[in-house]
Amino acid sequence: MSARRVVTGSGRVGRFCLAAVLVTAACDTAGAAQAPDDAAEAFRSGEYAQAISAYRSLVRSDAAPPGHHIGLVRALMAVGRYEDAEDAARDGVGRHGAELQGTLGRALDRQGKTHAAEAAFTAAIEGGATDANVARLDRALLDFRRGRHDEAMAEFDAFIDLYNDGLARSSEDLTAVATAVRHLGADDPDLFRDALRAYDEAVAADPWNHEARILTGELFLEKYNGPDAGAAFRDVLTVNPSHPDALVGLARLLRFDGESGVREALEQALQVNPGHVPGRVFLASLHLSAERYDQAQEEAERALEVNPASLEARSVLAAAHYLSGDTPRFEDVRRETFELNPRYAELLNTVADLAVDQRRYAQAVELAREAVSMDPQSWRGLGILGINLLRLGRVDESREALEKAFAGDPFNVWYKNTLDLLDTYDRYVTVETEHFAIFMRDDEADLLEPYATSVAEEAYARLVERYGYEPPTPVRLELYPSHADFSVRTAGLAGIGILGVSFGSVLAMDSPSARGIGEFNWGSTLWHELAHAFHLGMTEHRVPRWFSEGLAVREQRLARVGWGHQPDVAFLRAYDEGRLHPVSTLNDGFVRPSYPQQVVFSYYQASLVFEMIEAESGFEAVLAMLRGYRDGRQTEALVAEVLGMSMDALDERFDAFMQQRFGETLSAVRPRDLGPDPSRERLERHLADDPTDFTAHMILARLLVGEGAPEAAIPHLEAARELFPALGAPDGPSWQLGNIREELGDLDRAADEFRQAALRNEGHYAAGLEEARLRRELGDLDGAVEALDRAILVHPYEIEVHEDLAGMLAETGQWERAVRERKAVVALDPTDRAAALYQLARAHHMAGHTDEARRQVLEALEVAPSYDEALELLLEIRAGAGPRGKS
Amino acid sequence: MRRLALAAALLLVSVPVHAQQTHLLVVVGLGGDDAYRERFHGWASRLVDAATGRYGVPADNVRYLGEKPELDPERIADRSTRDNIEAAVRDVARRAGPADGVIIVLIGHGTARGEEARFNLPGPDMAPAEFVPLLDDISAQKVAFVNTASASGAFLEPLAAPDRTVITATGTAREQNETVFGGYFVEAFDGEDADLDKNGRVSILEAFQYASQEVERYYEDEGLLMTEHARLVDDWQGIGEPEAITEGAEVRVARSFFLTGQAGTGATTAAVTPELAALYQRRDSLETRVRELRAVEESLEPDEYERRLEDLLVEMGLVSRQIRELEGRP
Repeated sequence: MSARRVVTGSGRVGRFCLAAVLVTAACDTAGAAQAPDDAAEAFRSGEYAQAISAYRSLVRSDAAPPGHHIGLVRALMAVGRYEDAEDAARDGVGRHGAELQGTLGRALDRQGKTHAAEAAFTAAIEGGATDANVARLDRALLDFRRGRHDEAMAEFDAFIDLYNDGLARSSEDLTAVATAVRHLGADDPDLFRDALRAYDEAVAADPWNHEARILTGELFLEKYNGPDAGAAFRDVLTVNPSHPDALVGLARLLRFDGESGVREALEQALQVNPGHVPGRVFLASLHLSAERYDQAQEEAERALEVNPASLEARSVLAAAHYLSGDTPRFEDVRRETFELNPRYAELLNTVADLAVDQRRYAQAVELAREAVSMDPQSWRGLGILGINLLRLGRVDESREALEKAFAGDPFNVWYKNTLDLLDTYDRYVTVETEHFAIFMRDDEADLLEPYATSVAEEAYARLVERYGYEPPTPVRLELYPSHADFSVRTAGLAGIGILGVSFGSVLAMDSPSARGIGEFNWGSTLWHELAHAFHLGMTEHRVPRWFSEGLAVREQRLARVGWGHQPDVAFLRAYDEGRLHPVSTLNDGFVRPSYPQQVVFSYYQASLVFEMIEAESGFEAVLAMLRGYRDGRQTEALVAEVLGMSMDALDERFDAFMQQRFGETLSAVRPRDLGPDPSRERLERHLADDPTDFTAHMILARLLVGEGAPEAAIPHLEAARELFPALGAPDGPSWQLGNIREELGDLDRAADEFRQAALRNEGHYAAGLEEARLRRELGDLDGAVEALDRAILVHPYEIEVHEDLAGMLAETGQWERAVRERKAVVALDPTDRAAALYQLARAHHMAGHTDEARRQVLEALEVAPSYDEALELLLEIRAGAGPRGKS
Repeated sequence: MRRLALAAALLLVSVPVHAQQTHLLVVVGLGGDDAYRERFHGWASRLVDAATGRYGVPADNVRYLGEKPELDPERIADRSTRDNIEAAVRDVARRAGPADGVIIVLIGHGTARGEEARFNLPGPDMAPAEFVPLLDDISAQKVAFVNTASASGAFLEPLAAPDRTVITATGTAREQNETVFGGYFVEAFDGEDADLDKNGRVSILEAFQYASQEVERYYEDEGLLMTEHARLVDDWQGIGEPEAITEGAEVRVARSFFLTGQAGTGATTAAVTPELAALYQRRDSLETRVRELRAVEESLEPDEYERRLEDLLVEMGLVSRQIRELEGRP
C-alpha cells in the first residue's frame, strides 16, 4: 500500500512573518490620535460601545467618508445590533450610494434578508464600489447557500483570475480570494493551501484584518489542525479580547481539544453579541451533546430569530427534534431547509454528527448515506459514513467510504489515521465464540483468547440473566495492543484518556499490553463495555450517558469485589465540598466536566445512584427506566413515573444515601489544619484529641515506618482502615499493613491484608502476587490460585505467574485450568519452548485431551527430539495409557 | 563384517566421548566501581563453578583472571592485565589438543571511539586486533570467544574464523551502555532453563539463544529501550542475529560445542559400554532423521509429515528408555 500523507497547510512561515508585521503596524500607528483613528482603534480592540459612539459622531458630519459609515455598521453588527446596522447602512447608501451597498448587503444577510442582500450586493458590484470584489464574493456565497452551486463555483473560480491578474490587492480583496478558493477546495483539495496563502497575504496587507485571521483559524480547525487554529484565534484575541467570532472559534477549538473553558469563551462571545448566530448554533450543539434537547431547541430558535435563513441554525434545530424523537418536526425543519437550499447535505451531516454524540451510530450511517446521495462530494458525509460503519463493525464498507473521503479531503487527520489503522488489520485475527467475535492482534491472540473468551462469555451470561435481554450477536470485541490505535479507532486521533468504548454490539478497548501494569483491569473494563452493549441495545441507543456509565460501573462492581471505580479521599472530599453534580445534572459531569477529575468522580457517583435505586426500588425499576428511554421518554418523566419522585427529590434522596453510606468517613477525610510536614509528636497530640482524622493516621503511620518502627504504625493503619473501609487507593492501609505484617513474620495476616488491598483496587497487581506468594508459602494453594487468577486480569504477560498458577492447578488436580495457563506460557514465547510445549501436552494428557496432548508433545519434540520426558509422554499417549499420577 | 562395522561405529562414538576436553578462560576486566566489580566477579565465579562442578571440567582446564585477585584468591589465578591474558591464551593454545574445545569469556566494560573498540583492563586495554594472533595460535577443534562487554560488537568481524564461534553482547561498537548479557550467558550454564533441545547439555548456541532472549525480556520488563543486541558469528558463516538462528540454520560450531569435562550426555558418569554406545549412535541417527524430516516438512502433506515424525519419535523414545535403563537413570 502506498504511503498515505495528510496534506498540511503551509501557513507556518507566513504566520511567523505575520506576527512581525503586526508589531510593526502597531508601532506605526502608535501616536495617531485623530478621532477616526480612535473609532477604528476602539473597534479593533473590541471597545464596541466606544467605537459605535465615535463613528456615530463621525457620520454626523456631512463630509464623513464612506469608511465611517462602514465602521459604524461593522461595530453595530459586532454587538448584534443588526437592525441598527441596517439603518446605518441605508443612511450610508443615501449618502454614498454604491460604496455602502456591500455593507448594507452584509447587514441584511446577517438577518436572513436574502433577496434584499442579493440586490444590495449587485448594486455594489454594478456601481463599481471599492468593495465590489467583496460584494461579488458575498453574492456568490449567497448563491452557494441557496444551492446554486454551479453558479457559485463559477464565481469563486473567477477569483483565481482576479488574483492572478493582480487585481486583488487590498486585504479585503485577498480575504475574498481566500474564501472563494477555500470553497473551490471541495473539488481540488490542493486549493486549501492556496486559500491559506491568500489569507496570509490578506493579513500581511492589513495586520488588523481580524476576519482573515479568524477564517484562517476556522479552516485549520475544519482540517483538524488545532494548534494552528488556536494560534490564529489567539492572535486576534490578543488584540481584541471581545471579538465574538474569535471567541466562538476558540470555544470550538477548546471543545475539539477536549479542554475546559468552552462555555466561558462562548458565553463571553454571546455577551458581546447576543445575536451571534454561529455562537448560538454552537451552544445548541453543546446542549444536544449533553442531551438537553429543550435547551438546544431554544438556542437554535433564538439563532433563527436573528437569521431565519441560517442553514446551520436550521440544522441544529433539526438535530434537536431528531434526537428528542420528534420526527414530524424534524421532517418539517428538514423540508423547509431544503426549500431554501435543495443541495444542503450539511443538514444531514450535522444531524448525523450530533447523533454520534448520542451514540446513535446506525442512524448516523443512514443520515450520512443520504447526505452523500444528495451530494456525492460531501467529504464530510463520506467521512461520517466511513467512521460510523466502522463503529458498526462493517470494516470493508467503512474503508471504501473513508478512501473516498480522504481522497476528497486529504487534510483530514481522522480519515488518514483511521485508514492507517485499517491497514494494520491484516495483522489481526478474529476468534469466534458462542456470542462474540474477538478481534485481536495475532501476536497476542493466543495468550488473550482464553481469558477474553472466558470473561466475555461469563459477562454475557450474567448480563442476559440480569437484564432479560440479548444484544445483537456476535458482539465484536476489538482489543488493541497500542493505545494510540485504540484511540484512533475511537476518536480518530491519538491520546484519548479512556480504556474502552462500546458502539453497541461493537466494543473496542485497550488490550492489557496497551497500558502499564496496574493501570487497568482489562477483565473489568471488558465487563463495563459489554454492559453498555446491553444498555444501548435495550434502549435503541437512547440511554443518557450518565445512566449507562453509572449502570455499567455498577455491573462491574457486582461482577467481582473490587472491580469498577472505588471511593477515595478525593472523591469524598469533592462530594463533601459540593463539587459533585446532583443526580439531576450528573450528565454534565461526563459531557461537560468543570474540572479534570470530575469525569472519574461521576462514574463512581453514578454507580452509587444505581446502588441506591436497586436497594430501594429493586432492579426492575432500572429495567423500567431503560424501557422508558427506548420509548423516547426523558429522565425526569421516568424518575417521576418509576421512582415516584421529582428530580429534586431524587437529588435529596441521593444526598441522604451518601450521608448514610459515607457519613463517618466523610468527616474522617475532611481536611484538618495540621500545617506543613507535621512532626510525629504533633500528629500524636492531634490524634489524641481527634482520633477520627484519617489523614493524620496515615501520615503518622508513614513517619513511624520511616523511623524504623513499623509495629507502632499498625494501630494507626488499622484505625485508618476502620475510618475508611472502602478506600480503593493502591497504597491504602491494607497494602501497608500487608507489608508490615510480612516484615514482622505474621504471614497469615499479611496475606489477608494483601487480599484486602487487591479486593479494594481492581488494578492492584502487586497485592495479588504478594498474596499468592504468601498463600503458597502457607500451603493455601486454593487461595494462591484465586489471587493469581485475579492478578492475570490485570497483567497477563508474566510467564512466571502463569507457570506458578499452572503448577498449583496441577497440584490441586485442576487440569483443565492448568491447560489454559500452560497455553498462556507457550503464547508468551518462552525461552525454553520445548519445556513449555511439553508441560502443555502433559496438562492436556492429564485433562484427558489425548489428541491435543499428542499434537503438543510432537511439537515439543520437534524442537527437542531427545527430550526424555516428552518422549516418555509420547510413548504413554501412544500406548493409550491414561494419565499417570496426579502431578 | 558385522564386527568391523560395530568397531567403526564405536570408534565414531568413542572419540568425542573420551577425547574431547574443554578449556575455559574467564577474564574479568576493570569494574570501575565496587558494584560492577562485585557483579562481574559474581558472574565469573558462577561460570567457573558451573564448569568445574556441574559440567566436570577439570580445574586445571579452567583459568580465571580478574581485576583484583585478592578479592577471591581461590578462584582468581592472576590479574587480568594484557600480558597475563596473552600468556594465559598462549598457555591454553599449548595445552589444548586438536580435538579439544577452548572457550574464552570476557566480562567487564568495553569502550569505543568510532568503530575502534577496546576491552577495558587494568593497565593497557585490548583491541580486537590484539586477540587475533592469540586465537589464531589455538589449534583446538573448536574455539568460542565470548565478549560480554559493552561495545563488544566491534570484536565480531575481526575475530571470525573457521571452527570458531564469536559471540558479543552488542551488535556494534556504538552500543556502549552497560550490558546485562553476561549475566544471562552465565545463567545459561548454572541455571536450569537453557537446555533448549533437552539433550542434557547446554551448547554454546543454546547459551547464546537463552541469554539473548532473556536480555530482550529484561529490557521489556523494565520498560527500557534495548541498548544491547547480541550477535553470533559461527564458523565464518556471517553475523547472525538471535532470531535468524533457526532450527535449520547451520551454526555448526556453537551447536555442537558444550562446556563439559567429557562428551556424551554430560549428565551421566556411567561407563560407556558397547551396547550403550550403539544406543547413543542409534539415538543420534534418529535425531538426525528428525532434523532431516523437518527440513522437508513443506514438501509433505501434514498428515504424512506428522505420521513419519511420530514414528521416528516413538522409536527414539524406546531407544532413550533403553539408554536410561543402562545409564541407571529413571
